[in-house]
Amino acid sequence: MVKFENVNKTYGEDIVGLKDINLHIKPKEFVSIVGQSGAGKSTMVKLLIAEEQATEGKVIIGGWDITHLRKSRKPILRRQIGVVFQDFKLLPQKTVFENVAFAAEVCGEKRKRIKEIVPKVLEIVGLEDKLDRYPKQLSGGERQRVVIARSLIHRPKLLIADEPTGNLDSLNTKEIIDLLLRINNFGTTVILVTHNKDVVNSLRKRVIVLSEGKISSDKERGRYVI
Amino acid sequence: MFFRIIKFAFQNFYRNFWLAIVTVTMLVVALFSVSTLITLNVVLDQAVKSVEDKIDVSIYFKKDIEEAKILAAKVELSNLPEVEKVTLINQEEASLLFKEYHKEDEVILSSVDSLDENPFSNLLIVKAYNMEDYSGILKMLDKKEYSSLIEKKDFDDHKAVISKITLIKDRIKKIGYIIIAIFSFIAALIVFNTVRITIYTHRNEITIMRLVGATNWFIRAPFLFEEVFYALASCLILISIFYPLLSFLEPHFNYFLEYDFDLISYFKNNFFYIFGAQFLAVAFINSISSFIAMKKYLKA
Repeated sequence: MVKFENVNKTYGEDIVGLKDINLHIKPKEFVSIVGQSGAGKSTMVKLLIAEEQATEGKVIIGGWDITHLRKSRKPILRRQIGVVFQDFKLLPQKTVFENVAFAAEVCGEKRKRIKEIVPKVLEIVGLEDKLDRYPKQLSGGERQRVVIARSLIHRPKLLIADEPTGNLDSLNTKEIIDLLLRINNFGTTVILVTHNKDVVNSLRKRVIVLSEGKISSDKERGRYVI
Repeated sequence: MFFRIIKFAFQNFYRNFWLAIVTVTMLVVALFSVSTLITLNVVLDQAVKSVEDKIDVSIYFKKDIEEAKILAAKVELSNLPEVEKVTLINQEEASLLFKEYHKEDEVILSSVDSLDENPFSNLLIVKAYNMEDYSGILKMLDKKEYSSLIEKKDFDDHKAVISKITLIKDRIKKIGYIIIAIFSFIAALIVFNTVRITIYTHRNEITIMRLVGATNWFIRAPFLFEEVFYALASCLILISIFYPLLSFLEPHFNYFLEYDFDLISYFKNNFFYIFGAQFLAVAFINSISSFIAMKKYLKA
């Protein structure tokens, strides 16, 4: 599903973002990418969503080399990847339904189809009874679930969650992780980027540890030990 | 998709309402300066035309010349390609016209009546198509076959008046171009700033759009359409201000310049040419400005 082949990313001449990254994430896999701040986690996410380009090497998603993706092709890639960030990035003046529908609207989805699909994705995340609420009327966990619902609108094969629980308490964190596992069980590849040791250790899934831009450990059923 | 872009453009418009007001006001001021210049141009053109309309050559024939010869001269002059019209006024008509003109003046009328014979000559009034043609016509009248018939010729080309009006027109044009250039530049800057602020206030939407795979065209198009709305709104406001102002000023222009010209009809007949062109020009300037702003602040 996702391949990094000899990927290097440098900023300027001497700031290393990623160094000699080689990894292969198989379809339907749940992978946690962990590491301390500045380890290269966010750089990896930026390369995956084509926000930045690798200085060397190749980034391949679903057999598609996206290393030097043209601007005009980026929307096509992003419709196949769901992205969830730590900051919820919800529109405060729109309801839950409208926030999720917005993602479909801006990609040209027909109104009828939007009316069908939005309630379905909101049902997946357990917010089917809060369609008309505004973000400020929701808890942190619920807001993150709206973001996840929005990321599922294009039925992505790959979901990237970058610190999705960073702003949440332990109860909401558990709810979000359970939701990501459920989405993974539906067949979606999930990449969870986090520095939350407890979350990673409770998952008992593959863990890739980044340190100073390099992969220091890559284990099936791994643990995050600082 | 198109309607969604229009919807988003409208949202940009009313979510930054006060910014929109400032932008539209500035565009209206710029357009108003252009329209004022057009009006002055039209008025002065008409002033020149009205003066030119008054130009003709009056040929007074000797009293003993037979009417047949005068009629032959009229036919010959009428056949000249540069001559628009030749009017014959015989002695009786000349006398009647004179009396009509001085009907209030008893002294003059009684003086004319006291004369034994009609003091007026047969007269041909020659009107040319172009002012430049008069010199040729006058030269022709100096030829022997005419000069023997003619008592005198009257020609006033009103050169001084026309050159003064033309000078004023040229000066107004020059100043107008400078004013238009300044206003266009300011309008372009304001539009640029409007787009910049709109991009800033919509940064969350734009981030989400990019994240979920909206195309660059879909992200940028509402900004372009918003600028077209600005152009349209400013043109409509201009029209709603300009026509009442014209109907107020028209009688004053006519009184001042001593001619009867229907300025409002002129603007109505050339509506699309005048306001359509202004709309297209503003829409073009706005699009260029917003394109530059988007290139700078909306990086993919």
